[in-house]
Amino acid sequence: MTDRQIMTGDEIRRAIVRISHEIVEKQAGTKGLALVGIQRRGVPLARRIADAIEEHEGMRLPVGALDITFYRDDLSLVAEQPMVKGTDLPFDLNGATVVLVDDVLYTGRTIRCAMDALIDFGRPRAIRLAVLIDRGHRELPIRADHVGKNVPTSREEIVHVHVAEFDEVDEVSIARQLPASDASGAGDR
Amino acid sequence: MTATGPMIGETVERFELEKAWLVDPVSGREGPGEIVVTDGILESVVWLEGEEAAGVTDKGVVVAPGLFDLHAHFREPGFEDAETVATGSAAAAHGGFTTVALMPNTSPAVDDPGVVERIRSAARASGSPIEVLAYGAVSAGRAGEQLSAMGELADAGVVGYSDDGAPVKTPKLLRSALLYAGMLGLPIVDHAEDAELTAGAEAHEGYVASVMGLAGWPTAGEVNAVARDLAVLADALGDQPAARLHLTHVSTAAALDLVRRARAAGLPVTCDVTPHHLAFTDEWIAGARRWAWDAIDADGTPRDPWADGVLKAGPYNTSLRVNPPLRTAADAAACLAALLDGTADAVATDHAPHTVVDKEVEFGRAANGISGIETALGILLSLVDAGRLPLARAVAALTTGPAAVAAASTGTAGTSAARPRGLTEGAPADLVVFDRADRWRVTPEALLSRGKNSPLIGREVPGRVLLTIAGGRLAYEDPEAGSD
Amino acid sequence: MTAVAPAAHAPAVGWHHRHLIDVDVVTWPEIELIMRTTDEMKGILARPIRKVPALNGRRVTTLFYEASTRTRVSFETAARNLSADVVSISTATSSVTKGESLVDTVRTLEALGAEILVMRHAVSGAPYLAAEVFGGHVLNGGDGWHAHPTQALLDLYTMRENLPGGDLRGRKVAIVGDILHSRVARSNIWTLTAAGADLWLCGPATLLRGMDRWAAAWSGGAIPGHGRFNVTSDIDAALRDADVVMGLRIQRERMQGGLLPSLREYAARFQLNAERVSLAKPDAIVMHPGPMNEGVEIAPDVAISGRSVITDQVANGVAVRMALLYLLAGAHEAARGEAAR
Repeated sequence: MTDRQIMTGDEIRRAIVRISHEIVEKQAGTKGLALVGIQRRGVPLARRIADAIEEHEGMRLPVGALDITFYRDDLSLVAEQPMVKGTDLPFDLNGATVVLVDDVLYTGRTIRCAMDALIDFGRPRAIRLAVLIDRGHRELPIRADHVGKNVPTSREEIVHVHVAEFDEVDEVSIARQLPASDASGAGDR
Repeated sequence: MTATGPMIGETVERFELEKAWLVDPVSGREGPGEIVVTDGILESVVWLEGEEAAGVTDKGVVVAPGLFDLHAHFREPGFEDAETVATGSAAAAHGGFTTVALMPNTSPAVDDPGVVERIRSAARASGSPIEVLAYGAVSAGRAGEQLSAMGELADAGVVGYSDDGAPVKTPKLLRSALLYAGMLGLPIVDHAEDAELTAGAEAHEGYVASVMGLAGWPTAGEVNAVARDLAVLADALGDQPAARLHLTHVSTAAALDLVRRARAAGLPVTCDVTPHHLAFTDEWIAGARRWAWDAIDADGTPRDPWADGVLKAGPYNTSLRVNPPLRTAADAAACLAALLDGTADAVATDHAPHTVVDKEVEFGRAANGISGIETALGILLSLVDAGRLPLARAVAALTTGPAAVAAASTGTAGTSAARPRGLTEGAPADLVVFDRADRWRVTPEALLSRGKNSPLIGREVPGRVLLTIAGGRLAYEDPEAGSD
Repeated sequence: MTAVAPAAHAPAVGWHHRHLIDVDVVTWPEIELIMRTTDEMKGILARPIRKVPALNGRRVTTLFYEASTRTRVSFETAARNLSADVVSISTATSSVTKGESLVDTVRTLEALGAEILVMRHAVSGAPYLAAEVFGGHVLNGGDGWHAHPTQALLDLYTMRENLPGGDLRGRKVAIVGDILHSRVARSNIWTLTAAGADLWLCGPATLLRGMDRWAAAWSGGAIPGHGRFNVTSDIDAALRDADVVMGLRIQRERMQGGLLPSLREYAARFQLNAERVSLAKPDAIVMHPGPMNEGVEIAPDVAISGRSVITDQVANGVAVRMALLYLLAGAHEAARGEAAR
């Protein structure tokens, strides 16, 4: 059950800087861009990307938070995790190019829910996806535009992303899943 | 215990029981003993002493006279879906009862000898040896207006008169009934309820009903009626010294107190309490399942089920809807005190079977009644186990007590009802054998009554009945009765 | 809707009740969870598209044995806002009038696909019977005099919205009216004593019967998680310095039942009119579960005054019911085995 560290705090920082450059490069500028972090850990990551873009472009992009709790197709998690964390989109989605930000991309279901939710709020011109970790095992035809690190994993493993805003440290580690836990639990993304 | 062999209803040719605890409420004796039944007669009763008695306690197999239920409903004629004389008799025997007095709220009501005869032939046809006695209705059709054919009913052998299910409707009618029945030497058995105060009521008017939003059944609903009955009785005695009143299923401390004082003043009134009023309380409707004696503080204050965290079962269980309603733990304690000090002569089951159709409905719409004849002994033994009631008193409450109530009756059936209930050598065997060391689980399948409306379903009660013999014939035998 | 920062250290409370029939089994942390979920639901109601797919494809069936358009529509709106399919049974037109039992009706509805049953019934305790034979979730929309959990929760939510810090501890709440027959009052007793409010129940003596005994039983803090409350027929004492004034409907039948001399006399002694309400705090709110008998328990000018939050209650009702439908639908499979409470 030993956790294996796969990204240090410095590596995370560099990945975020690289992603922030890629986002601006793809857009050929900052015009029309908005960052939306997916609750929970996507939100501080989105902020950090916005900080990095501000630093090298001098432009503060709008940052929002998206809670997909009510868009999940599986209610069995409600009993244990009914806590809703909040959606806040303080800008006009219509015509915007929204970059969704999340910590781990796995099956792709979370992103599908996020797109459904986003579209209920308005009509973006385009939606892109930036993730810190892509761990493979996609179940839907979804791919990330920007990836911090590709990490091949097995289904028995869990990827833990820790961010200082919640967890006191910045690091990414992999752990083997305990056999008793439900494989469709918190890790299902 | 040797295998008996006969089928239900057949004479017990030979039955021997060694080293059991015998209880004879007539002689007042209890202790280690042995009995032998031959050709239906209780041939020998031997009390053991010294070494022979060693190891025999009152915690194992017990032999008592066959139990007598003063108040049961067998629903025939008219409501055979709920029970028949045959199924009721089987249930009675399972409960250790060998004599049952049936209430007349059948359809038609037992207000003329023809209906008494229907019940009697149903009893004969059932093949059960249980002695089935009948009350006649006080009023024609139980309508509360005119007296029923009381004289003809007396000739037909009823043991008393009652409009049970309902009170005797008016004081004037009660007075006439007491005079007339007194003339015939039979008691009036009243279900004391002030129907105006209890109209629409669902549960005892108290803390539990307030929290649960149930329409309250005020204590005055019983006290008023008892006071009325006692006053009318006192007057009636002036005209008819033989007038006699029995108050059935008295449930409140206040009403029991009125009876206590009336008896002390010499009024010829008797009363009975039910097993469910001794053991269950209104908190059971909220979902509690502790015995009434565990639901009360040392100073007599009922405990709060919401405070104690004892609500284990689903609330509003309709098997708990009964008339009179389940009362507070203090009232239950008063019922026990009345039994102990003789204010209440007897325990009567008020066995009230109902069909699923009548009970599997909303609480306020459910029929009133508990199917209790098979669990009455178990409830009394629970009281004995808890040290609240001596075993001898429990047995007396179900044998000599009811017989004493019936004793004023001078009709032939009355004499039979009042026959001494003891372990008498040479008399036809009329006894129950039960094992206090064993328990049985109350389930719909285990209950022989058609009425499965018992709050004890799913629970184990002490005192498995092994054998019931009525009038020398086999009434009930435990299917798993093994050897001792 | 204000920005919601990630609740970094919120306690991890789950929802494990398969049914919601009475608030007596709901703990304070669970009530907090319902309040937070209701906040989110209100957020959804503020969006251009007031709908989320959380209950997509789930069937919510309303079974109302008592006529009540407002409450039924509130539940149905809540269910539709969560994308559930809604079926309404109102017994005036159903086979119930042909004498079908509650148990048979519930079994039939289950066979027709009902997953969440929202029930209103005239007899106390009826939802527990339904829950015993129903494989899904039962949400009580009001049973007899016993309970109306969604009403008490929306009342609580509305009070918290209007009180500083959303904290009811020590705040005086006066409920005036036919307390005896009120399921709204009974459920509010459970929630408000759990919230630490200073609760006063007020009405004519005939409509307070038994409440004194209940208050006395709870006066020593006997029930874990619930404080004491007061019962009085003195309306001035009840309203004085109150933070919340709630009126309850007086029904004409009470007069016929010999419990009230007349509605006029009730109004003269207990009506929430401007003069009486002025005894409460200057910023006190006025509430009523509806429907109102204006001119009887509440004066028309008070009902529409600036202090009245009665229409907020209606809006909050939809949000609270969305929250409860959502939580019930997700109730843990393990909860399915428990005795229907």
